[in-house]
Amino acid sequence: MSKRTWNHPAVSADESTVAWRSAGQLEDSAEFRHWLEREFPQGAAEMADAGDADVSRRSFLKLMGASTALAGLGMAACRRPESYIVPFTKAPEWVIPGKATYYASSMPRANGATPLVVTSFEGRPTKVAPNHLHPDADGTDAFAQASVLDLYSPSRSRKFLRVGKATTRGEFEPVIAALAVDKSAKIGFLFGADDSPTRNRLRKELAAKFGSAKFYQYEALTGESAVALGDGVQWVADFAKADRILSLDCDFAGTDPQGPVKGFFDRRKPEGGGYAKAAEVAKMNRLYAVEAAYTLTGGMADHRLRVAPSQVLTVAAEIARGIISNTALVSEIPALTDKKQIAWVQGVIKDLKDNPGKSLVLAGSRQPAALHHLALAINLVLGNIAANKPLTAVQTETAGLGNLASLKTDIDAGTIETLVLLTPSNPIYDALPDLKFGESFAKLKTSIHLGQRCDATAHASTWHVPAAHYLESWADARTCRGTYTAVQPMILPLYPDCVSELEILLALLSDDGKLLNGEGPKGEASPAYGAVRATFSALAGAGDEPWKKFLRDGFADGHAYTPVMPKTATSAASDIAKAKAPVPTPQALEIVFSTDSSVFDGRWIDNGWLQEAPDPISKLTWDNAALIAPLTAKNLGIYDLIISPEPVTRVLGIESTYGKSYPDGEGGNRRSPMIRVVVNGTTLDIPVLISFGQAENTLVIPLGYGQGCDDDDELKRSTANAAHVGRVGVNRGFNAYPLRNAGSPYFATGATAKKTAAVYSIAVTQEHSAMYGRALAREVSTIDDAKLGSFEHQLANVKKQGNDAHAPPNLPLYQQKGSATWHPDKDGKAPDFLSDTLHQWGMAIDLSACMGCNACLVACQAENNIPIVGKEQVAKGREMHWIRMDRYFATQKDNDFDADNPALVPQPVACLQCELAPCETVCPVNATVHTEDGLNAMAYNRCIGTRYCANNCPYKVRRFNFFDYNKRNPLIAHNLYKGPLGEKQVGEAPHLQRNPNVTVRMRGVMEKCTYCVQRLKDAVIRQKRAPKQEALAAGKPSTEMTVTAETLRIPVDSVRTACQDACPATAITFGNLLDEEKSALGRAKRLERSYDLLNYIGTRPRTSYLARVKNPNPDMPDARFIGKATIHMA
Amino acid sequence: MANTFPRWSNLLPLKIAFCVLAVAAGVTVAFTYYATPKAQVVGYQPSQPIPFSHKIHVDQVGMDCRYCHSFVDVSGHSNLPTGNTCWNCHQHVQRESPKLAPLRKSMDPAFAGYDGKPIEWVRIHKSPDFVKFNHSAHVNRGISCVSCHGRIDQMEVVFQDQNQSMGWCLDCHRAPETQLRPLEQVYNMKYDAAQYLKDHPQAGAKTPAEFGLKLKEQFRVSPKTTCATCHH
Repeated sequence: MSKRTWNHPAVSADESTVAWRSAGQLEDSAEFRHWLEREFPQGAAEMADAGDADVSRRSFLKLMGASTALAGLGMAACRRPESYIVPFTKAPEWVIPGKATYYASSMPRANGATPLVVTSFEGRPTKVAPNHLHPDADGTDAFAQASVLDLYSPSRSRKFLRVGKATTRGEFEPVIAALAVDKSAKIGFLFGADDSPTRNRLRKELAAKFGSAKFYQYEALTGESAVALGDGVQWVADFAKADRILSLDCDFAGTDPQGPVKGFFDRRKPEGGGYAKAAEVAKMNRLYAVEAAYTLTGGMADHRLRVAPSQVLTVAAEIARGIISNTALVSEIPALTDKKQIAWVQGVIKDLKDNPGKSLVLAGSRQPAALHHLALAINLVLGNIAANKPLTAVQTETAGLGNLASLKTDIDAGTIETLVLLTPSNPIYDALPDLKFGESFAKLKTSIHLGQRCDATAHASTWHVPAAHYLESWADARTCRGTYTAVQPMILPLYPDCVSELEILLALLSDDGKLLNGEGPKGEASPAYGAVRATFSALAGAGDEPWKKFLRDGFADGHAYTPVMPKTATSAASDIAKAKAPVPTPQALEIVFSTDSSVFDGRWIDNGWLQEAPDPISKLTWDNAALIAPLTAKNLGIYDLIISPEPVTRVLGIESTYGKSYPDGEGGNRRSPMIRVVVNGTTLDIPVLISFGQAENTLVIPLGYGQGCDDDDELKRSTANAAHVGRVGVNRGFNAYPLRNAGSPYFATGATAKKTAAVYSIAVTQEHSAMYGRALAREVSTIDDAKLGSFEHQLANVKKQGNDAHAPPNLPLYQQKGSATWHPDKDGKAPDFLSDTLHQWGMAIDLSACMGCNACLVACQAENNIPIVGKEQVAKGREMHWIRMDRYFATQKDNDFDADNPALVPQPVACLQCELAPCETVCPVNATVHTEDGLNAMAYNRCIGTRYCANNCPYKVRRFNFFDYNKRNPLIAHNLYKGPLGEKQVGEAPHLQRNPNVTVRMRGVMEKCTYCVQRLKDAVIRQKRAPKQEALAAGKPSTEMTVTAETLRIPVDSVRTACQDACPATAITFGNLLDEEKSALGRAKRLERSYDLLNYIGTRPRTSYLARVKNPNPDMPDARFIGKATIHMA
Repeated sequence: MANTFPRWSNLLPLKIAFCVLAVAAGVTVAFTYYATPKAQVVGYQPSQPIPFSHKIHVDQVGMDCRYCHSFVDVSGHSNLPTGNTCWNCHQHVQRESPKLAPLRKSMDPAFAGYDGKPIEWVRIHKSPDFVKFNHSAHVNRGISCVSCHGRIDQMEVVFQDQNQSMGWCLDCHRAPETQLRPLEQVYNMKYDAAQYLKDHPQAGAKTPAEFGLKLKEQFRVSPKTTCATCHH
């Protein structure tokens, strides 16, 4: 019997939308279709790597023999081992064994701290979530979610280094003590771009103590906006007030934050946040994006223009000409020549002018000062800048700091001889190469580097001090609006040598220079505590009460930055004239050095969760690659190589071209061709991938990779820097920092690229667990369409898109209340077959708000103890993420505006908790069953790993533990295949991050999302205390009390899943279906744009999706192609 | 006629039978040990670092369970008392008793062997990692300590009273009325339903069985039996 396949009806002939995930699918090769029809990706279901000669059947038997022998040794386990319960001697306050405690803290970072609530189990911080109480609360991004892993990272720095060699704290202490007493020391301090009031206060004290002290600030990717705005001035956008937003290469929802984005996403929903009102187009905002390659923000745009980054200025100048009166400012910039672009720009100009004071023009921080001048000028004319307007400029407290160039000058001049590096960046690795910072750095007498990683700078410094994590240290921070925010420790430094930034500054300020960190010998608090408390007292009042409130809430209200009114700088005209750049051509390509969504500027390279999270746009994991538009690739003659690279199969360890080739996007044998990029006189060989919607003649290269290689490197690169990275980051990607220079920090013109013979294996997840079917992600437009009708009509038709137009209604197997087969008895009391009348869980995912940022994916990983599997396993399709972030491209066949600029549609898919789940019926051991409250449960201890359920899941959301990823280190090549002889997980710490309420799964077990069932159980059980409380309050014996459903039902919207909590876009709504309209979920489910994924196969999923609504401007030339990106995968 | 089977093969069937029997015996022994209540260690009674007597503390002194197991009604775990809980009383009572040396070792800085390290109590009731049993869900809904732990107040040395296998859990989840009590009686070790009914006559409940059903109805107790109730 062959597998029964669902014959999807052919896509109707008049369907105008073409949708795809990968270039391979767009080309529709035979290999691709073969791939699609598999249950698991190629190779994922094979026992071992077939080509891997060192794991032949024979060696497997050897290993088995060895493990049997070891099992024999383990016979001692016949008797129950004695285990111990070890209670505290003196119970710490608030610690209840088995219950999490929650603390308000925040993660300091450039552009403002992220306010957090940290979950701590018996003193172990395990999970961070946004602090919803905070006035600047805004969800969290993937970086904040993943930051907790760094605390427990095995590659975390824990020992002092002296010129790259391990040393002890005792060796270092005299150095800092000598420094502290030398008041004439020529000392410099290099801070990060975050803002900390206590640090600012100590800075002043340091300046007073050390007469010749100087202070600098450096982070690798901060940009030039300060040139236009003034020193230490930053924008804070209030998106809730903005009706029209123009992003000029500004990824404000992703890596380039400009203020809390919750307001933006609430206004992407026609019904507003919480789905409280009726759909109203006028309440929606409209986003125009001008950018080179797709970013998260660009994916949300209603209208998107793709131009090379150097040409964003030309577009901005054209817009400025239509808006500002002083057009002399842009006289040097040539006018647009492309008629389509002119029409597009005119549409934007009109829309912005029609909405004065209610629009936002945002310039990307990576753009040169010229664009910031222009954006400021446009915003000033439009009247967008004021306290009650969408845009405010605030004066931060980071003014007056030097930059890396002035630091270099000072070192060369001899005015700085000792440098204390406190920046999270890694200047030896990521400073502009033509600055030659490293050469000056070597001239320093003493350099003290504080860092969590032993990176390049740590090795180059005379002293490296291991840094305490922000969850281990006392500090304070300011959010983007300047709200004074707490950073409080959850745990003492895991390793006793770890020192925080404030502790090092305080040691220098003390008379004897004694370095005190963590807890004192008699349990006294870190000196940083006293320093933060002193800052707080001066700011918000002395005494215990305000302090306690501050620690409880995590912030002190009313101490924000002062707004300033920026003026057009005098240098504006010359800056703009200077920034003019030629249009790129295939002979002179433009390179975009992009901020990476996994490693940021390189600082997260040793974070396994981030490395394994697929890039939101390219879906690449564990590496970086050059991205190129298909047409440009064709012009350069490399397109065919990418789509169907040299087929490589390994037979008995010998690489041969025999066998199948694999199309773009998948397979353990997937190779990507390497190209040689030459720019600024520097060469880089890097694999290349097709990227849709990217400007022609540009190459996007994410920064931050290639920090070190060891002997396992596939390309046998130099191992000189092997010590700079840990297990996770070693051999990962290619370093693009050397390609930059001072004139081209974020994009460079005049580059060439040519193919080479080399190939490189990559792990791309875009075709992993790919669904196929009709109308998977649905989209509507707010403007009238000749074929689809008005907005109201389109909304009403959401449920009928795709096959659902002609599929018969789903009749449930069981008569349920409200279903077509349910008939009340004469007394109206027929059972409704709801086995739990208190809670029935459900979820709604709003595609109108989802931007595909991975925050949910990483939050889920933290909450549910999901392991990382390593690049080799990801390539085989064995990644374990419970949430899969599908990313589709779709274009219109008749798109004559820009056919190569498809819409980008992200769609997160986790287990949908089908009421009629296909997986449950095929499990031979009842390991996956339905619960009374509507979950599709997984009993891990019962699963025997037949994988029938995954085979039968139409949504492909089940993940299988092919190996014991928790017990064997997947980061060592072939280690997983060595069974019990393989290396165990390294380090003593990783298990400390685990959530004790979630079972850690073993090999051979299926797993998947269960709506964070541990959180649901916790909430329901907590509510079970209510009857007793009521009885106590009433003063009656419990036998006289009657417990009602209301007593036992949890309060409306009181439980949140990890993904929902993390989502910065509030795209995920979760709740109890029985709360009906009282809950946001109930309201979302009743919307017209709510639909079920693959509704026509009749699984009745509990998670439904809300169709994406695009709000195009009817005056725009591309308006009729917008809002039609309904995804059909046939 | 050729001798197809060599002479040594005469004993082969016997050898095979012997091996099969030996393996079968091994399997039987293993099965008897691991798959029957023997493996559930009812009666497991390890000796503790301090011979703490529940009989003295509960039965004679009359302490409530929650004096020491203070978070049993708020947390999933029932906590063991911290060192200072014991020391609160025992710095005054029986302080010099040699039996309390481990406590003084961890709590009393004046004690010769003081090291401040916590006492390591030997775990008696142990559920596997994949079982998420929650004490507060039970004691707040009318299930007494006695139902799972037996008459702790009569135990000089605590032992495991019930096998606590999954089948045992399900027996009660399917028929909670057999164990339900008024909420005030949950920590009363000596509770007797018949006596309680005599003292507090209940409308519509003459027998303990009827009383259980009445409480189940009144408290809206409907324990779940699907996997995710305990496994997640």
